[in-house]
Amino acid sequence: MTASKATREQLRRHNRQLLLHAVYSGLADNRAALAQETGLAKPTVSDLIGELIAEGLLIEVGRGQSTDSGGKRPTLLQFVPDARQVIGISLDVDRVRGVLCNMAGKIIAQHHANLFDIEGHPVIDIVQHVINGLIAQLDAPLLCIGMGVPGIVENGSGVVQYAPQFGWHNLPLAQILTECYQAPVYIANKAEMAAMGQYAFGMPNDSRSPVVVLLNSTIEIGMVLGGAIYHNGGDISSLHISRQLGQHSETGRLETFLSWPYLKRRAELLRNEHPNTTLPATGLTFMHMQYAALHGDAAAITLVEEITDILAQVFSWIIAMLRPDHISLAGGIVDMGETVLNRIMAKAEALVQPELVQSVRFSLAESYELSALGAVAEALQNELGLVR
Amino acid sequence: MKKPTIGIITNNQYGVFQRDTISGVREIAQQSGYEVIVDSLAEDPLHPRSVSLDWQKLTGVVAIANATSDELLRQIYESGKPISLVGHRVPGTPIPAVTSNNNQGMAELVKHLVKSCDRRKFVYIRGEMNQDDAIQRETVFRHELMRYNLPAEEMYFVRGDFDPEIAAASIRELLELQVYFDAVLAADYQMAIVAMELLQMAGIKVPEEVSIAGFGDAPAAQAAGLTTVSADILELGRRATRQLIGQVNGLTIQGVTTLSVQLMIRATSCPA
Repeated sequence: MTASKATREQLRRHNRQLLLHAVYSGLADNRAALAQETGLAKPTVSDLIGELIAEGLLIEVGRGQSTDSGGKRPTLLQFVPDARQVIGISLDVDRVRGVLCNMAGKIIAQHHANLFDIEGHPVIDIVQHVINGLIAQLDAPLLCIGMGVPGIVENGSGVVQYAPQFGWHNLPLAQILTECYQAPVYIANKAEMAAMGQYAFGMPNDSRSPVVVLLNSTIEIGMVLGGAIYHNGGDISSLHISRQLGQHSETGRLETFLSWPYLKRRAELLRNEHPNTTLPATGLTFMHMQYAALHGDAAAITLVEEITDILAQVFSWIIAMLRPDHISLAGGIVDMGETVLNRIMAKAEALVQPELVQSVRFSLAESYELSALGAVAEALQNELGLVR
Repeated sequence: MKKPTIGIITNNQYGVFQRDTISGVREIAQQSGYEVIVDSLAEDPLHPRSVSLDWQKLTGVVAIANATSDELLRQIYESGKPISLVGHRVPGTPIPAVTSNNNQGMAELVKHLVKSCDRRKFVYIRGEMNQDDAIQRETVFRHELMRYNLPAEEMYFVRGDFDPEIAAASIRELLELQVYFDAVLAADYQMAIVAMELLQMAGIKVPEEVSIAGFGDAPAAQAAGLTTVSADILELGRRATRQLIGQVNGLTIQGVTTLSVQLMIRATSCPA
C-alpha cells in the first residue's frame, strides 16, 4: 500500500512539473494546449492547474483567441515567478556566498560571510548564518535551498562524502539543513552547480553539454548532460600529471601545480629569480599576474605560461573524453581575461586533434555567484522541473 | 503596553543618504509593529555629540555608516542586543551589515567608460577613506583599471572625502597642473557634479573631451544628466530593518547582505 501511494504521489508531482514547465517555458498557455502538449487527460490537467493556481504558482490572465474551428476562447495561464523564493549557497574555502532568487533566477539579495581557518561543525554554523541572513530577506515563502560544496557529494542523498578542506567525511549535510529549515535541500559539488548555473542562466540555449572548469583552492569540473547535472564530476585536484619545467620534468598532483596556495608560492620563487618584477609581495591576484604579463614582466609571463600549460592538459582531457559542446573557465582566474583563454585553447590544439578543440565553444564564467546561482537552478529543477 | 522600538544611530538625519535609509527603516518598522527613534549626532559637523540613545532599553539598533565609534557598536553587539549596520563594517566582529554592491557597480561603470566611451586616462575622486563604501569603491576601481590594462597613477587619485568642496579644491588643483585626462570618476554623485561644473567653467567640453561619472543617484544627478550607479537607498533601509527584525526573532546572522545596483547611462559619459 505504501509503495503504491508513493507512486501516485510521485506521478502527481511529475505531472505538476510537466504542466509548470510547459507554462514556464512558453510551450502552452491554456488548459487545452497543456493537455495536448503533455499528453495528460483534460480532467487531470484541470485538477492540477486548479491546485497550482490555489498555491499561487500560476494565475489566469484573461482570454486567448479561439481556435480556427471556433469554440470557447481559452483562459490564459501565466507562471508567477515571485510566488516563491529560493536560496542558493556556494561554499568556498574562505567564504560562504548566498543568493536569494525568485523562481526565474532574478537575484533579490546576496549575502556572504568569511570563514577563518575553521573546519567541522563551525563551518555549518556559518553556512546557517548566511542562510539566516537570506531568510530574513524573504519576500515570499521559501520553496527550497540548493548548495554547492567543494569535494565529493553522494548523488541524491546530499551526503558530503569527502570535503577535506573542512574535515567533512560522510556528513549528512542536506538532512541537517532540511531539519533546520523545514524545506527541501539539494546539495551537489560546487563545480557541478556552476555548470548548472551556466546552463540555466549563463549561456546560449543551444548548448546541451556544457562543462565548467572551476579553479580556486581546488580544481574541479562539473558537467550538465541533457539538462541535468552529470554527477560524476567534482574534485580532480589529486590527479597526477607531469610537466616540463625548464630543463627538467616533474610529477605531482594537479593541485600541486594549479591551486591558489601553490601559485602564490610559485610567484614568490619567481620574484626571487626576477627581482624587478611588479608582482606584489602581498595581495597577489590573477589580475596582477595578467597585467604584469601584458607589460612584459618576466616572472608574470613565466607564471601565466605555466598555468596555461597545465590548464591546456585539463581541457584536452575533457575534450577527448567527454566531447562537450562548451567549456567555461570559472573562479578567480577569469580575471585574466580572454587572452589567457585563447592561450589555453591554442595549447590544447597541440595535445588533441585541433578539429576536436575547434568543435568546442569556450568562454569565461564571469559571475562570482555562479555556483550559488547554479544551486538555485538545481533546486528549482528538482522541486518544480523548472530549468530552461 | 509600550511598543518595541528600533533605535537609529546616524550622523545627520537630513543628509540625502541617511534620510532615505531612515525612511526605509520606518516603512518596515511600521509594518512590523515597531516604533523608531533617531539619534542624529553631527547635524552641526563642528560640534558632534555622543550617542544619547539608551540602547539597552531598545529592541534593536540600526547604525548608519560611520556615525559612531566601532567600540560602541562592538559593545552593543557583545551585549546581545540585535544590531545591523548600513554601509559599514566593524573589523574583527561578525556584526551583520547591509550594503550596496560596490563591486558590481564600479565594475559596470568602468566597463562602460572604457568599452563604450573609449576612455583611457582616469581621474578618480576618492571618498572618505575611513568609510567602507569609499574603500571598496576605490579598491574595485584600481582592480578594474588592471582589467583594461590601464595604469593606476597616484597623482590622478585626488581627495574628495565625499565633500563637494574638498573635491572642488582637488579638481581646481589638477586643472592648474594642466595634466591630460579624458574621464573623471567620483566615489559619489555630488563630487561628480561639482567636477563637471568646474570643467565646464574651464571651457572643457563634457562629455566630448572629458567623461564624468559618479556613484549613487538622486534627483540632482538626474537633473545634471550625470551617468552614475543607482543604489536603492530606501531599499537598503528596508533590508537592514528586515535583517534586524530577523535577529530579534531569533535568527543568528553573520556577514553582509548586498543589494544589486544599476548603471544609469546619461549624458555625461559618452560623446553622441
